[in-house]
Amino acid sequence: MIRPLEHILIPVGLIAVGGLLGWSFFLAVTGEAGERLAAVALAHVPDSGVSNPVTSVLLNFRAYDTLLELAVLLAALLGIWSLGTAGSGFQPAASVLDGMVAGFVPLLILSAGYMLWVGAYAPGGAFQAGALLGAAGVMLALAGHRNAGLPSEGRLRLLVALGVFVFAMTGLLLMVVGDGFLTYPRGLAKWLILIIETAATLSIGATLAAAYLGGRPAAHPKSGEAT
Amino acid sequence: MIDALPLAVTLPLLGACAVTVSPAHARGLGLLAAVLTAASGVGVTAAVWSDGVLRVDLGGWGAPLGIALEADGLSAAFLVMANVVALAVSVYAGGYFKSESARHFWPLWLLLWSALNGLFLATDLFNLYVTLELLGLSAAALGALTGTREAVAANLRYLLVGLLGSMSYLLGVALVYAAYGVLDIGLVAEAIEPGPIAWTAMTLMIGGLILKAALFPMHFWLPPAHANAPAPVSAALSALVVKAAFYLALRLWLDVFAPVLNEAAANLLGILGAAAVVWGSWRALRADRLKLLAAYSTVAQMGYLFIAFPLLAATPPGLARDNLLAAVVLLALTHGFAKASFFLAAGMVQKTAGHDRIDELGGAAQALPAATFAIGLAGVALIGLPPSGTFLAKWMMLEQAMILGLWWWLFVMMVGTLLAAAYVFRVLSRAFNREPTPYRFVNDARTELPALLLGLIATFGLGIAAQPLWALLEQGAFG
Repeated sequence: MIRPLEHILIPVGLIAVGGLLGWSFFLAVTGEAGERLAAVALAHVPDSGVSNPVTSVLLNFRAYDTLLELAVLLAALLGIWSLGTAGSGFQPAASVLDGMVAGFVPLLILSAGYMLWVGAYAPGGAFQAGALLGAAGVMLALAGHRNAGLPSEGRLRLLVALGVFVFAMTGLLLMVVGDGFLTYPRGLAKWLILIIETAATLSIGATLAAAYLGGRPAAHPKSGEAT
Repeated sequence: MIDALPLAVTLPLLGACAVTVSPAHARGLGLLAAVLTAASGVGVTAAVWSDGVLRVDLGGWGAPLGIALEADGLSAAFLVMANVVALAVSVYAGGYFKSESARHFWPLWLLLWSALNGLFLATDLFNLYVTLELLGLSAAALGALTGTREAVAANLRYLLVGLLGSMSYLLGVALVYAAYGVLDIGLVAEAIEPGPIAWTAMTLMIGGLILKAALFPMHFWLPPAHANAPAPVSAALSALVVKAAFYLALRLWLDVFAPVLNEAAANLLGILGAAAVVWGSWRALRADRLKLLAAYSTVAQMGYLFIAFPLLAATPPGLARDNLLAAVVLLALTHGFAKASFFLAAGMVQKTAGHDRIDELGGAAQALPAATFAIGLAGVALIGLPPSGTFLAKWMMLEQAMILGLWWWLFVMMVGTLLAAAYVFRVLSRAFNREPTPYRFVNDARTELPALLLGLIATFGLGIAAQPLWALLEQGAFG
């Protein structure tokens, strides 16, 4: 028996969507490349306080976008938390995995710090560094550490909100002193970007690890299991 | 130098941070942030009113390299409606949510508010995408706050549909950027020219947005998501979130894709709008629950807004077109106030009666005169009876449709209005069953007064005092 919705409408709809996607791709690839913004951006990189073009776009030219992206991450985590508490997690790992995790996690944290610093002049930056921190949290969770090495709920809340808070406050303070919202004064740009990126790294790392747990941190982690 | 535009976006963001860090004081901090945000939003509108179009280059780079925020008459009109409604919803939510759910409500709610203000003020196509993401994510999370199975399922679907809409929009933005190399709305409008790229980008972007605006037949996600959310969230979703998608579609239509429009696209939107009016009103009439009725009514009311597109496309520039545009905005604003009022009052009824089945509302609705009065006022605005803003707006749309000889839109709007009258009176007739006279008009000031005030604005404020809207829209919105 042919069910019209499942056998006709949905396949036809999907084929239409696929056709549209192929067509868009064709247009984007074959269309003549007009003047893009890359040239303008590269020309302004020396004024941005950092020499890595990606960081100068993310943290200076289009910093407002990045601020809202951090808010999106925060909204995602708060949404996860609103759905309930995290499961009980994995059982403690056997000694081999535990030993490996004990070696890897400090390395990941160290690499995150390196990524954060190097982002000013080479590929790297807050999102990459935060992803490494988040990966450290995921490793800890997989090895059976409850709460993925994250602090208690009060401090965790501080950590996840830190990025948006520092970013938005920096923007507002710059506006109050007369430079305009998120308009870094020359000379200070590098340090302001570093402060914002440091806060963002901590927030992104904590958010990703907390999101991996899949729920609010358990209220009373038993002593000995918390790290 | 304090610019009000970034304040309207960052104040709720900072408020969200504060309530995230200190959930024990979520209500106090949240209300404080709500008052400050609403003040900044109304301040922006007042500034546009007196000084004309406002524009701020964030980071001092200016378009095309940086991102700008801009408030013209159109965005200011939506901004002030959103901020007044959001403030009323906040006051209501202060009494509605108890400690545990309040901890989750306030940060997400302030993030949603920030996304709304950001969306109304944005001028950059990619920045608009980011605000859409923030809006959709926080809206779906808020809708699932009741925690029931239906609510979580409906809002998961809402989240996925919203993501699909955002992705479609983003694909359109990518095409525009690939072809023209700019993202600022003004610069894109200068560069765009008719051709396959512009048409495909328009289809993708407007298509994604009408999915988010729940235009028939893409409305399937709306009724369960809006009907199962907590009352203040339903009010915000129905009054503001779908309206934001409509605003963006209108903005793109007027400012970006104006050179590449054709009547076929406008007529398609109008036909879908007409189907939404008839189908949404019919389902609202048949709904057995008050909140489901309100949700289907939103589907119908969004339909009216899209009927305006063929009328706008057929009207030559001039006074008639300006009036028509103002009428559409007035319709959207009135629906924002009225639907928020309806949902807030319905939430009060549901809380008191323990259910919202329309057939069994008799005593419960009558025990709450203020809430019932708010539903009545909102109903007047939903039907479009004088002196509501809807009456004026529909009147001008009908007049223009007759002048243009497009009588079939007139027919659809008449049918929709009759059906709206039927579903509103169906609720009100249940509310006036034979029950003893109530003792008090207002039973719970914090929850009933916001609903009542929004209803009064929708019915009397926007109808009798609609003139300022025309003055506001002269700030850049009338081409």
